[in-house]
Amino acid sequence: MVAKRRLNPGTFLLSYGFIITLVAMIVLFSALRHEFFSVKNAIFILHAAAPTMILATGVAFVLMTGKIDISIGSIAYLSAGVGVMLITRAHMQLIPAVLIIFAVGAVLGAINGFTVVVLRVNPLITTLGTLFTFRGLALQITNSSTISIPGLGNFASIRAGPIFIDIFIAAIVLAIYQLIHTRSVFGRHVMAIGNGSDIAQKLGVPVDRTSFLTFVLSGLMASIGGVLTMSQVGSISPSLGSGYEFTAIALLVIGGVSLFGGEGTIVPGIVLGALTLTIIQSGLNFIGASPFVYPLVRGGIIFIAMYADSLKNAVARRVRLIPE
Amino acid sequence: MSNPVLRMVDIRKSFPGVDALKGVTFEAFAGEATALIGANGAGKSTLMNVLGGVIVADAGHIQIGDEPVTIRSPADASRHGVAFVHQELAIMPTLSILDNMLISAFPGRNGFIDYGKGEKLCRDALSKLGYTFNLRTQVRDLSPGDQQIVEIARTLLGNSRILIFDEPTSSLTSREKERLFEIIRIMKSHASAIIYITHLLDEVFTMCERAVIMRNGAKVAESMIGDLTRNDIVEKMIGSQEVVNYFRHHERKPGEVLLTVENLEREGFLENVNFSLRMGEVVGLWGLLGSGRTELFRALMGLDPINRGRIRLHKGGNIVEMNPTNARKVMGLLTEDRRTDGLLLPMPIRNNMSLANLRNLLSRLWPFVARAREEQVTREYVKKLNIKSTSIEQRVATLSGGNQQKVVVGRWLQTKPLIFLLDEPTRGLDVEAKAELHAIVGDLADSGAAVLIVSSDLDEIISLCDRFLVMVRGRIVKEFPGDATKHELLATASGIAVAAEGVE
Repeated sequence: MVAKRRLNPGTFLLSYGFIITLVAMIVLFSALRHEFFSVKNAIFILHAAAPTMILATGVAFVLMTGKIDISIGSIAYLSAGVGVMLITRAHMQLIPAVLIIFAVGAVLGAINGFTVVVLRVNPLITTLGTLFTFRGLALQITNSSTISIPGLGNFASIRAGPIFIDIFIAAIVLAIYQLIHTRSVFGRHVMAIGNGSDIAQKLGVPVDRTSFLTFVLSGLMASIGGVLTMSQVGSISPSLGSGYEFTAIALLVIGGVSLFGGEGTIVPGIVLGALTLTIIQSGLNFIGASPFVYPLVRGGIIFIAMYADSLKNAVARRVRLIPE
Repeated sequence: MSNPVLRMVDIRKSFPGVDALKGVTFEAFAGEATALIGANGAGKSTLMNVLGGVIVADAGHIQIGDEPVTIRSPADASRHGVAFVHQELAIMPTLSILDNMLISAFPGRNGFIDYGKGEKLCRDALSKLGYTFNLRTQVRDLSPGDQQIVEIARTLLGNSRILIFDEPTSSLTSREKERLFEIIRIMKSHASAIIYITHLLDEVFTMCERAVIMRNGAKVAESMIGDLTRNDIVEKMIGSQEVVNYFRHHERKPGEVLLTVENLEREGFLENVNFSLRMGEVVGLWGLLGSGRTELFRALMGLDPINRGRIRLHKGGNIVEMNPTNARKVMGLLTEDRRTDGLLLPMPIRNNMSLANLRNLLSRLWPFVARAREEQVTREYVKKLNIKSTSIEQRVATLSGGNQQKVVVGRWLQTKPLIFLLDEPTRGLDVEAKAELHAIVGDLADSGAAVLIVSSDLDEIISLCDRFLVMVRGRIVKEFPGDATKHELLATASGIAVAAEGVE
């Protein structure tokens, strides 16, 4: 009575294609450079991936409802900027300043959420607007300058054994999100909205409240990611968070989160996506490729991921229409 | 007789231009299935949408059990134990069966879901219907029939006392249909009141204890099913009202065969469709909602892929095999919903009218549209079709329905098609606009084109057509000559004559 999903080569490739690619890449880079395949390098790869992984996790729920948030890079910069000003001008302590950074991130996310949910502005347009305004504001208050924060720089080098603290933070965020996604009413509502907000509404899902919250969470996670980036560098610079939104969204799509909504996982999806992108970068680095090759390779991967996404959707739709 | 579980008293609802419900009183009883029967547009769905909280009535009141209730939203309806299994299933394909069933009320606390408890609830609900699924299966991996089971099982979780089924068998295979009937029997034995909306009279006689028949927004009969014959029902659905004074066409002499369709098949929608069209004739395609009329049009036009069959055009002694590319050149399609599928509403009449004919309006020197020619041709057709507008630059959104429809007609006229496919051409139009459109249809046929019309308005189609094809479940089951009666058409479409001839 239970329908079994037919596993033909096409759907197999669509479902597991990126795991295969990932393994193939690791094998390839390791064959070219033995040092690549080491615990030390693996830890550095995770270290480098941690901030974007957190940003991507934050925006994942927005994508799963079928919407989009491209302002997260700017939210990371503006919230961090506010914190840095509090530390340097108002001589605030590090910990309260960081907490304020998180609060600012959530508020900025709430502005997006309000515009999309209450004012009914298209999410892409909304967050395109805030992408520019938030960054503009941040450039104003930081005077477009690079400011170093010594205390924060030490934070990023804290390790437990060989593992950096930001890897732990990313792991904790992922674990919490995994729990919310699979076990909480909110997480299921997010997925329901992604399947069609009209149907979800009809079935009693609080569509507006849930969508609003996904934007708030997206802002909050962006600010956490911003703080981590800042701590890795030890300073805030005008380019902080710039382009993060696209890395995060690309990472999600590679990890199987559909831009059409209603589809995707936190674990393993986001982890796989983050690893794929970072391993390419690290691998190219190891084999001594020109840094100018990265965008090209990354672009190719993103294109393939997006194509696979729309292909998967076309297949799913066809399956649905035909009676047994 | 026991007291009704549901009483809807004197329910009224008007939409702009139509009185959809003219004071309808409706009752349903525990442990019984009540068939709600009526032709398209009789008001069945409106009545049930009032009960389901999808629309709010203008007047009237509802009583469930012994209490009067107010239903203003689907949430209100489900709180009062009313569950609606829509024709279009409300399922979320990427979620598991479990999540689909529990979505309206997850068990658990503090925002976290107690899946252990949830699984038990779902398993119990499904087992009441005699089903065991792997609850973690994504719903998109189920067949349409199984998806419907999931939706029905969901209603069991909410302790519904009243279950509305809207045309539940339209997307099911015959085996799935049997299973659904079995489930409805089970639900009746659990003392639910079932309301079963359908056009298919066979199902009424197998499934239902009572029948309520509606016509033109009013209840025209209510009775136990045993006291009715199929013919009674059809009589009551048609009514004996005098034929509205429709445009009555003069005798036409159809010319040569223009189009032949053989063994056309689109899996799940069309099955072994055969017919031909002659020059200068108007053919009515009659069938109930979901019988495949629109799908046939789309297949002819090449908008949907077909699995099998030939569509051939006979043109000047030659026979041309039709394909999506050349279909566009010889056929014009008036879509069912002109506002979403037929018109670019924010754009002016000019752009809307020239859309299909731009290739012929290009300037000789440049690959651009010759504006002067475009305007001249548009004016010509605006005049010909008597489209009332301030100028050809008027936005189509601001035109009346009839004039909008004429804009679509004008667009296709420009391409001088041999065959017109008109899907519900007069839906939503006022009497005058209807008459004008009917006249245009007559002119088209007189000019030698073949016209194939789908209409849910039986009077219209009877008065307009030279010949009728009746569709049931994706097949053309019978052809009638121009003097066919309304009774014959409706009875055939509802499955009576078909069953008698053993075609099925």
